[in-house]
Amino acid sequence: MYNFGTVFRFEVVRTLKKKSFWIMSLSFPVIIGAIFGIIFFSNQATDKAAQDTKNQKFSLVVTDESGLINKQILQQLGASESTDKQANIDKVTAGSLDAYFYYPKAVGKEKVEVYAKDVGLFDNSRYEAVAKVILQQSVGPTINPQTTAILQDKVAFSATTYKDGKPFDGFKELIAPGIFLVLFYILISMFGSQMLTSTTEEKENRVTEMILTTIEAKTLIIGKIFSLITLAIMQIIIILVPIIIIYALFHNELLLPNLDLSNIPLNPMRIAIEAVIFMLSFLLFTGLLVAVGAVAPTAKEAGGFFGVVMMFIFGPLYAVSLFISAPDSPLVRFLSFFPLTAPIPLMLRNAVGNLTTADALIGMSILAVSAALALAIAVRLFRFGVLEYSRRISLGVLFKKRANK
Amino acid sequence: MDFGNKTVIKDLSFDVYKGEVFGFLGSNGSGKTTAIRALLGLYQPTGGELLVGGKPFSVSSGIKLGYLPEERGLYKKESVIDVMLYFGQLKGLSRSDARKRAEEFLVRVKLSDKATTRIDKLSGGQQQKIQLGITIMNDPDLLILDEPTKGFDPVNRRLLMDIIEEHQRGGATVIFVTHQMEEVERLCDRIILLKDGVARAYGTIADVKSEFGDASLDDIFIKVYGDENEQTEEEQ
Repeated sequence: MYNFGTVFRFEVVRTLKKKSFWIMSLSFPVIIGAIFGIIFFSNQATDKAAQDTKNQKFSLVVTDESGLINKQILQQLGASESTDKQANIDKVTAGSLDAYFYYPKAVGKEKVEVYAKDVGLFDNSRYEAVAKVILQQSVGPTINPQTTAILQDKVAFSATTYKDGKPFDGFKELIAPGIFLVLFYILISMFGSQMLTSTTEEKENRVTEMILTTIEAKTLIIGKIFSLITLAIMQIIIILVPIIIIYALFHNELLLPNLDLSNIPLNPMRIAIEAVIFMLSFLLFTGLLVAVGAVAPTAKEAGGFFGVVMMFIFGPLYAVSLFISAPDSPLVRFLSFFPLTAPIPLMLRNAVGNLTTADALIGMSILAVSAALALAIAVRLFRFGVLEYSRRISLGVLFKKRANK
Repeated sequence: MDFGNKTVIKDLSFDVYKGEVFGFLGSNGSGKTTAIRALLGLYQPTGGELLVGGKPFSVSSGIKLGYLPEERGLYKKESVIDVMLYFGQLKGLSRSDARKRAEEFLVRVKLSDKATTRIDKLSGGQQQKIQLGITIMNDPDLLILDEPTKGFDPVNRRLLMDIIEEHQRGGATVIFVTHQMEEVERLCDRIILLKDGVARAYGTIADVKSEFGDASLDDIFIKVYGDENEQTEEEQ
């Protein structure tokens, strides 16, 4: 592995010098920041509008056939009552009255009708809001507060389920190992095309012969892989840190839920199995990408093959409910043990807790052997494929070269 | 050495002595580049052995190699100095040593003002000079140059010749692939003429000339390879 450090440094430094890396890395937090900003200002504007509406005075006439409306509230608003519906609608139409609310006899079945003078697209909603507030405030005091909470779905529940004699929360149990599944997806999304570009680069730049007579193909590939993993981790940090800071500082203003990380259960065995599956899957994927990059003459052409690899790896996500509900079905077992499709089913089943120890061991063994084979073949393909500047290397050529060695 | 059903090199056997400049001559498609690639392990030979210093070449064999391939290219999006430093370090130089040698070379080839310029902003000839600089950065013991003067103007061709001579005087063994006979006359101690993957002549320049009735190298080249052009014309 002599020269590994030189390759690693070169690949990392030159990527960090590229504008595209920073645009790609920073665009996500900038977009997220912009979205949070919009939410923040929108919430502020909504609060202000609600406040304004509350304080706004406008001429109002109400017809109450339901008998639910509190007269005192109408007095406080300066509203008057009337029974002539059509006359009031006419007044609103003529502009001599700002608003007219009609509360029908059966409020639960019929619509409350609101007629009002146009005050702009956004401000028009204030009339409906006031009609609603009048109704709620009129009815509220007559109902038990608990009943109100139940009807408004504001009752908090605490559920404890048990498995093997111990409390077990399936969703919370999923969080810690599930992080590896999310990380796998993010790494592949961010790393895939970079790996392809990086692998085909020597070929596209016609620098292959000089490189391969200076450094072992294996060292070059491993140096590239490690540099790209480092860069992907840096990208994740660049993306996550601003989001975490924004959450920590402004989650109340943004009306985001409070996260209590101390309640997340940590099952060391499941987390360890998930980490091993993640690592082996990542190595398998990397091997496949290097192989694709070595076979194709250009990064553009490699993109087509990359799509096929992605289809195999992420295709099983369509059967996600099956992995959870029927882990012993033949399809789930096939997808779990077929090397190209194994990563997602194995990680998902382990995360939800239905991957047996035997299945985990079989799955990890299959992934380990496949990853080692994929990387070995990938290095060999790179070794011989990179001299095929303008055409794809055929398997015949590869195996012939193997036989001749 | 076979590619599919086609045999590119057959029954080829030759020695290159330590410290000499060995001319590897042949027309286009005669198998020169393939032989060099096989020598350096870039192709696996179908049969036979190619040894450097008594053993098959590999990057870990400890041989200080400088190889300028026929297929030219560098990392186009990187600066001249970054690429030179990278290759210098891959060839075993410290970063500071690689920088010193790179800067010295750039001064010599009048490209010191281009050190921070991206490779793809240089002309073809300038890129070729950088590639030559990388090839000789580690003072190689074995220098293999595959058509190094291709694309060079006479001034730079002269410069290249001087550099090759300097390295030979420094004790390097040079394998020089070309079909420029004046370069061969000036530099080479011994030569091999390759045609259809077979050695048609092999020895010192004097030996080869004598074999062809003391003809000039140009005449010998035309005599050996002239029928290829005739065949091509007939085929056309």
